[in-house]
Amino acid sequence: MSNLQRLREAFRTSLDLPADAPVDELQYQDNEKWDSLAHMSLVAALEDEFSVMIDTDDVINMSSFTEAVSILGKYGVDFNE
Amino acid sequence: MNLFHPGARVIDAVTGETLTEDMIAAAEAQLAGEPGGVVFLPMQTTLPVVARYLAALRLGRPVLLLDPEHDNASFVERFTTTEVHPDLAVLLTTSGSTGNPKLVRLTADAVRTNAEQIAEVLGITGDEVAVTTLPLFYSFGMSVLNSHLIKGATIVLERTGIMQRDFWTAVNEHGVTSLAFVPSQYEMLRRLRFDPAKYPTVRSLTQAGGRLRTDLVTDFSERMATVGGKLYVMYGQTEAGPRMATLPPARLAEKLGSVGQALPGGEFTIEDDEVVYRGPNVMMGYAETAADLALGDVQGGVLRTGDLGRVDDEGFLFITGRIKRMAKVFGVRINLDDVEKNFPVAAVAGDDKLVVFAVGASDDEVRDLRTKIAEWLGTHFSGVIVRSVEALPLMPNGKTDYRALESSL
Repeated sequence: MSNLQRLREAFRTSLDLPADAPVDELQYQDNEKWDSLAHMSLVAALEDEFSVMIDTDDVINMSSFTEAVSILGKYGVDFNE
Repeated sequence: MNLFHPGARVIDAVTGETLTEDMIAAAEAQLAGEPGGVVFLPMQTTLPVVARYLAALRLGRPVLLLDPEHDNASFVERFTTTEVHPDLAVLLTTSGSTGNPKLVRLTADAVRTNAEQIAEVLGITGDEVAVTTLPLFYSFGMSVLNSHLIKGATIVLERTGIMQRDFWTAVNEHGVTSLAFVPSQYEMLRRLRFDPAKYPTVRSLTQAGGRLRTDLVTDFSERMATVGGKLYVMYGQTEAGPRMATLPPARLAEKLGSVGQALPGGEFTIEDDEVVYRGPNVMMGYAETAADLALGDVQGGVLRTGDLGRVDDEGFLFITGRIKRMAKVFGVRINLDDVEKNFPVAAVAGDDKLVVFAVGASDDEVRDLRTKIAEWLGTHFSGVIVRSVEALPLMPNGKTDYRALESSL
């Protein structure tokens, strides 16, 4: 599975979304399932999945799927493989 | 009742707009043109809602604070009436009860007195700036609003939360001086490695809405001490409008585990192990039907809290459990709160079994917990079920949703 697919999976699992739900456009504010609790779970899932430790500033900046891609990019996760 | 001190300010963090007397007057005029009786108010964190809330209080119209995320049609159906007791000012929903939640009936005196009591023990003056961290229909959220407005302080309306950049930007932009959180938010702040030095205007944290683990009490009290700030541990129930006790930060280390002393004018006694509070902020009673809204005070200023506890010789209250939070395992009564104090789990009663939920536990940790809890209970491990969950379900007030856990059994 590509890193992008792994990221999509992590979002669906953490936000309790169906297996085929589109997630690339997700924004924290717009999705009712993406609340503070889901956010904690999402960050933990990303840390596990990509073996990274996400900084506090990055945790609170991660306000969209796109943002997650660019933040994980900083930690060396390559989404252009 | 007017809670809006002339110096008070309410600012919308997104629009920068502030609440004006004209807005409240307009809301009053609108309400005056509507049918009498209960004002059903979904409490979005916005200026028009705060204006309508204050307008209802000024007009002496009882206002029912509702969760804006829910369908509230059943409340309208159950409580529409013009026959309301003249003393009735605020109606709050009780959380965690099944089916048809009861309402808590509060007088204007109780609401105002509690706001004054809170302001006194927390030292709230016109210089304080609070930001919304909790929904306003929730009694803790309402009390933060009331206790600041009545003292001419500032409230910043922020619709995001502590997991979002905008929230922390607003904290610094508006010079927020105090933050109010429930235990689940302290758990999040710990994961976020909250550093008060990054928010130089924040001088106090307050905590209510359930028991905060003592290691977190110490942790956050120490974090705040590094910047000369304070943590206030507090205790309350919606039925008391809601605050009953505060732990003075100077006594926190020495009285660790206590929820503090009764507010000025209040008093705790222990009757048959149950914490009983007497004070001017106790509700008039519950309402289960529209007819109950015409009732007067049935409590006489006395609230049986349903909590188990003890009071030391200086009046510091220590909560030791909840009367109703019991399970039976092989017929033996177990205090679920004791289980949660000794293990990192949420505990509910199963069918003659103890069922606990552990967040993110591996298979090995699940087995290990089961063995340890059974040993601690002195019972066979088959009486204990351990389930690993990704996260605990929470109610809007941030407390663990035990009903959701029970229904998952």
